[in-house]
Amino acid sequence: MKFLVGKRAFIAVALKELLHLWRDRRILMLVIFLPPVFTLLLGHAFEEGPLRNVPAILLDQDHSAASQKFSALLRSSEVFNLQPVTVGAGSQIELSANNLTAAVIIPRGWEKGLHNGDPIPLDLVLDGADANTAPEIQGAVQAILGEYQSKALESMIDSLPDEVFDLGRQLPVSVRKDFSSSMSPWGVKASILYNPDLKFIHFVMPGIVGLILQLFTVTLTACSICRERESGTLTQLQVTPIHKSAIIIGKVLPYLGIALCVEAMLFFLGQEHFHVAFRSPILLFGLSFVFLLSTSGLGAFVSSFSRTQTQAIQYSVFFLLPVFLLSGAFAPISQLPLGVRIFSYAFPLTYFCHACREINLYGGGIARVIWDFVLLSLSALLTCSIAAYRLRAVEV
Amino acid sequence: MRRGEKPQFLAFNGLVKRYGRRIAVDNLSLNLQPGEVFGFLGPNGAGKTSTIRMLCGLTRSSAGNGTVLGFDIWNDRFEIRSRLGYVPQQFSLYADLTILENLWFFASVYGVPKQSADCRIQALLAQLDLFPYRRVRAGHLSGGFKQLLAIGSAILHKPALLVLDEPTSGLDPCNRQTIWNLLYELSQEGTTVFVTTHNMDEADRCTRVGFLYSGKLLAIGSPAQLKERLVNQILDFEVDPLIAAQSSMRDLPGVFGTRLRSGKIRLLADDPRNLIAELRQHWPFPALAWHAYEFGVPDMDDVFEAFRCGILAAKLESTEV
Repeated sequence: MKFLVGKRAFIAVALKELLHLWRDRRILMLVIFLPPVFTLLLGHAFEEGPLRNVPAILLDQDHSAASQKFSALLRSSEVFNLQPVTVGAGSQIELSANNLTAAVIIPRGWEKGLHNGDPIPLDLVLDGADANTAPEIQGAVQAILGEYQSKALESMIDSLPDEVFDLGRQLPVSVRKDFSSSMSPWGVKASILYNPDLKFIHFVMPGIVGLILQLFTVTLTACSICRERESGTLTQLQVTPIHKSAIIIGKVLPYLGIALCVEAMLFFLGQEHFHVAFRSPILLFGLSFVFLLSTSGLGAFVSSFSRTQTQAIQYSVFFLLPVFLLSGAFAPISQLPLGVRIFSYAFPLTYFCHACREINLYGGGIARVIWDFVLLSLSALLTCSIAAYRLRAVEV
Repeated sequence: MRRGEKPQFLAFNGLVKRYGRRIAVDNLSLNLQPGEVFGFLGPNGAGKTSTIRMLCGLTRSSAGNGTVLGFDIWNDRFEIRSRLGYVPQQFSLYADLTILENLWFFASVYGVPKQSADCRIQALLAQLDLFPYRRVRAGHLSGGFKQLLAIGSAILHKPALLVLDEPTSGLDPCNRQTIWNLLYELSQEGTTVFVTTHNMDEADRCTRVGFLYSGKLLAIGSPAQLKERLVNQILDFEVDPLIAAQSSMRDLPGVFGTRLRSGKIRLLADDPRNLIAELRQHWPFPALAWHAYEFGVPDMDDVFEAFRCGILAAKLESTEV
C-alpha cells in the first residue's frame, strides 16, 4: 500500500512536470526545434570528407612548359581554390592579408633543374595557425607532384631510344627486374573499413546527438528541481507523505521520456539527411536510456547543491564545457594525453560516444559495450541517489 | 508518559533549535488538546517558523522531543505527514497550474484514493467558494483566493492537525474573516489548528495562545487569561496635543511605551496608581494639557506590548517563585 502511494505520487509529479512544460511553451519550442537545428548545423559543419577548396595562389616564376603542365594538374585537382592574386616578385607573401591558406610557388629555373638532373624543390608557404590542415595541404601538394612525376616518367620511358632497351636486355634478369620496379612508383593499397567514405559525420554523429541531449536533460532536470526550491513548493511537497526518491524519479522520468523521443528524431534525421546508418535499434535504445538516465541524474545532482535556477544553470555550464572537448565527441579520446584522458572517463557522454560507435560503426554486439552500459547505469543510480538524499539536506 | 494516561494530541518537551551559535527556539514545552485553535504569537524572529519546521519534520530539533498523536515529530515524521496539513508563510503552490490541477496533484501526493479525491475536491471547491475559478491558474488569483487554495490543498486529506504560518498576512479584513471562518469550521470538524500570527487582533480569536519571545515561550493561556493579568496596568489619558504627548510621555519613569488609541494616549505602566499620584503632584509637561484619565480595558495588543517590554514576563517569574 505504501509502495502504491509512492507510485501514484511519482506519476503525479511526472504528469505535473509535463503540464509545466506544456504551459511554458517557449521551453517546449526550444526542446522540440533546437535539437534538430543544432544537429543539422553541427552535422554539416563536421560532415567534410577529404580536403577541398583551400584558398591559395599559384605563382609560376618559371614560365616553362613543365611549370605549365604542373599548374594545369594543380588546377584540375579540387584541393585548391586558386585565387587571382598577383604578388610582386621577390616580395614577402602575405597569406592572411589576402585571405589565403597556402601559396604554391614554382621557382625560376625549376624545369631546367629537372632536365639537368638537379631538381629544385617547389616552394610551399602555409598558414600554420590551423595545425591540422597545414600538413594535410602539404600532403596534397606532394601527391599532385607525385602524379606529375609518374607522368613525366612514363613520357621519358616512351621517348627513350631503342638502343637503351637493347642494351638493357643484355643485363641479368634480376637486375632488370629490380630496375623496372624501382622505376615504377610504389603504392599503398588501402582497404578502409567501418567508414569507407571517410566521412567524419559517421564518427561525430553520436557526439552531436549526445551533446545536445545531455545539454537539455542536465539543465532542464536541474532547473525543474531548483524552480520548486525557489518557489517554496519543494517545502510544500516535503511536508506531504511523498518520499524524496519519488520526487526525484518523478522529476527525471518526463525529461528522460522527452529526450528519448528527441533522440529518435535526431537519429532519424541523421539517417535520412546525412546517410548515417544506425544499426541495432534495440541496443541503441537501451544505450540511450541509460545515458539519458545518467545525464538526468546529473541534472538532479547539480540541483542538489544549487539553491536557485540561476545557480543550477551556472553549474551546468561549468560542467558541460569540458565535456565538449574531453568526451571524445569530436575527436577520439585516445589522442588525449593520459593525464587528461582520466577526466574523460568522468563524463557519461564518453561512454555513450564509445558505445554508440561500437554499435554503429563496428557493428559490435552487447558484449562490446557491456561496460558502457554498466558504468552508465551505475552513474545514473549514484547521481539520483545522492540527489534524493540531498534533497532534504539543502533547505530554503 | 505514565501508563493509563491519555496521550496528548500534541506535546513538545523542551524543544531546542540552534543554528550555529544562535538559539532560535529555547526549551519549548507545550501541550495541545484536539480541536483547539492555538495561536502561536510572537514578533518576527521569535522562533515561530523554526518551531513549525520542527513540528512538520522539515528540520530536526537540536534537543528535546515532541509528539503528535503519539508519533515522534522527527522519527515518525512520515506517519505524521499523512495526518498533518501545512500552509507556509509564502504562497507555495504551482502558479502555472489551475486550482483544480493543484488540488488534484496534492490529492495524489497525499495518497487520497481516486474516488474519494473527486468528492473531496468538489466539496472543498464549494466550501472555499473557489468553484467558479477552478480553471484559473493559481498565479492569476488574488491574495485571498491564493490563501484559500493553499489551505484547501493542505486539508485535502482531512488532517488531524493543520499548521498555518501567518495565514492572513497581507490580506484585507474581509479575506481575513473568510479565512478565520474556515479555520473555525475546520476546528468544529475536529481538526486541531496551530496558527502563528503577529496580528494581535487575530490572537484574540484563538481558543488559546502561546507567546514566544526570543525563542522562549513566555506564557500560554486563553486570550482572556492573558489580558486579565494586565487589568489595572493600563491608563488612558486625554491630553492635548496628542502627537506631542505620545513621544513626551514615553519617557516618564515606570512607563513602558505609549500608544495612540481612539484619540487617547494609552500607557502601560509599572505602577499606575503611583504614577497618577506623582503626575497630580507635578505635571512635567507644560506644553501639554491634561484633561482626564481612566483605567483601560486591556486587549491583545497590550499583551503583546507588555511581553515585548518584558514586564509581563517579569511579573510571571515573580508569581511563579
